[in-house]
Amino acid sequence: MPVTQPQEIASDLVANVAQIHVTVGQQVEAGEEVALLESMKMEIPVVAELPGTVTDVRVHPGDVVQEGDVLVVLA
Amino acid sequence: MASNQPSEASAQASAATRPKVDRENDPRNPRTRLETFLDDGSVELITKYDASGMLAAKGTVRGTPVVVFASDATIQGGAMGLDGCKVVVAAYEQALADGVPIIGLWHSGGARLAEGVVSLHAVGEVFAIMTRASGKIPQISVVIGAAAGGAAYGPALTDIVVLGPDGRIFVTGPDVVRSVTGENVDALRLGGPEPHGRRSGVVHVVTETTEEAYGRGRQLATLLASQGELKVDAVQDRDLAATFPESAKRAYDVHPLVENVLDDLDDAIELHPRWAPNIVTTLGRFGGRTVGIIANNPMRLGGCLDSPSAEKAARFVRMCDAFGVPLIVLVDVPGYLPGVGQEWDGVVRRGAKLLHAFAEATVPRVTLVTRKTYGGAYIAMNSRSLGATKVFAWPSAEVAVMGHVAAVRILHRRRLAEVDEAERTHVENELAEEHARLAGGIPRAVEIGVIDQVVEPDSTRTALAQAIADAPQRRGDHGNIPL
Repeated sequence: MPVTQPQEIASDLVANVAQIHVTVGQQVEAGEEVALLESMKMEIPVVAELPGTVTDVRVHPGDVVQEGDVLVVLA
Repeated sequence: MASNQPSEASAQASAATRPKVDRENDPRNPRTRLETFLDDGSVELITKYDASGMLAAKGTVRGTPVVVFASDATIQGGAMGLDGCKVVVAAYEQALADGVPIIGLWHSGGARLAEGVVSLHAVGEVFAIMTRASGKIPQISVVIGAAAGGAAYGPALTDIVVLGPDGRIFVTGPDVVRSVTGENVDALRLGGPEPHGRRSGVVHVVTETTEEAYGRGRQLATLLASQGELKVDAVQDRDLAATFPESAKRAYDVHPLVENVLDDLDDAIELHPRWAPNIVTTLGRFGGRTVGIIANNPMRLGGCLDSPSAEKAARFVRMCDAFGVPLIVLVDVPGYLPGVGQEWDGVVRRGAKLLHAFAEATVPRVTLVTRKTYGGAYIAMNSRSLGATKVFAWPSAEVAVMGHVAAVRILHRRRLAEVDEAERTHVENELAEEHARLAGGIPRAVEIGVIDQVVEPDSTRTALAQAIADAPQRRGDHGNIPL
């Protein structure tokens, strides 16, 4: 995926959103943790695959997300 | 097959715009490809260099004897007719007689259309001998160009498929897809590295360059055919827990553990790294010997087993068993993934494949529980009950039907409902502690014999090595159906 395209970071399973580590406008590096989910009795970090700038944060701590729900969008 | 029509048509179209290269200097020349793949000076053709569309040779890779055949993409886009298929069958007969791996270098639009049903019959005979050879000799496919129709199912029947950057695999090409379904898709998106590496599971290894694809093919042939002997004395202990997070609840990437268990990563190769990434399947060296590692990866889907990961692991177990490759199973699994989608996709049927594969396997297969193993997934991950050679656990590991808090929420549902909300967490935790004491944890698991031995992380490597070395070195007597 070219870096210029928006990168949607989605949950790959049903989970509770425990923490969101980023805010709109923030730069993130590839591999940086953007959110922490809780599911299957575990805390599961969600990381950015590519670097980018946060353009949208779609969920809040406490939300329940479904598989495929977008958490954070990078551009 | 009818499917090769568009690819032949497009091959001709692109040929018209390409400057003419004579066959000898064409990079798609099969003799050149065989020479590139095999060790220098080792190539010994076993079929004639003619217009059959296929060419086969004996030779060595890193000194290991192998048989290789290559599509001749300079003729009709590598399409397979009667003569070409006879070349492949002859290559298989040679490899079976010598008991050596066979590698196919694929670049073919499928069956030759002009030959009609004759070519279909011939391609079917290739499939039949591939199936007869299944589990007897390692079969590796390196797809370096288009592999359509019959040429797609050829690689699919083999043990491991490597896909180079120009490799495309599909039953029917973009033109047919467009005319039949109206879907507009190019060959890359239909059957390139992205869909097959991540979504379909058709391809085990994706490479950046064609040279690397050859290199991976050579490496796999050596790992499976020159397995070496496990030298227990050569296995040094390392602190395998060093790469784990402090909190037992915290998910982590299991790759550093896999790397630490193996001698090094020089000779290691992960199969299906991006498909079903919640389980890791890697071939590598341990004490100098080829082993297969299967590891839950908590970083993906919490490390749960689901339909694709169970199929991926089951196929890996059966391949390793067929070729006598011992297995090391690294367990940290919270259970099977719950969900309507999973049930409707057949997690019961597909998850059963992993139970079957482990229970059937006769190679040495050693399990290590690092943090936890719960429920149905506990059984599936090479448990004592499925006939594991040995089951080790680290001292802090948990073996249970489910997490203790989850268990008391079910066992004490009514009592908890009566408690004030403010107090509930506290009561839950108390009950969970009591439940943990009664359930007995690791000491109880050792007492009833489902854990053979508790080992410290810094003496685990030698314990694994001794367990494998002490076990009878058997291999399974079965084929390797592409599950």
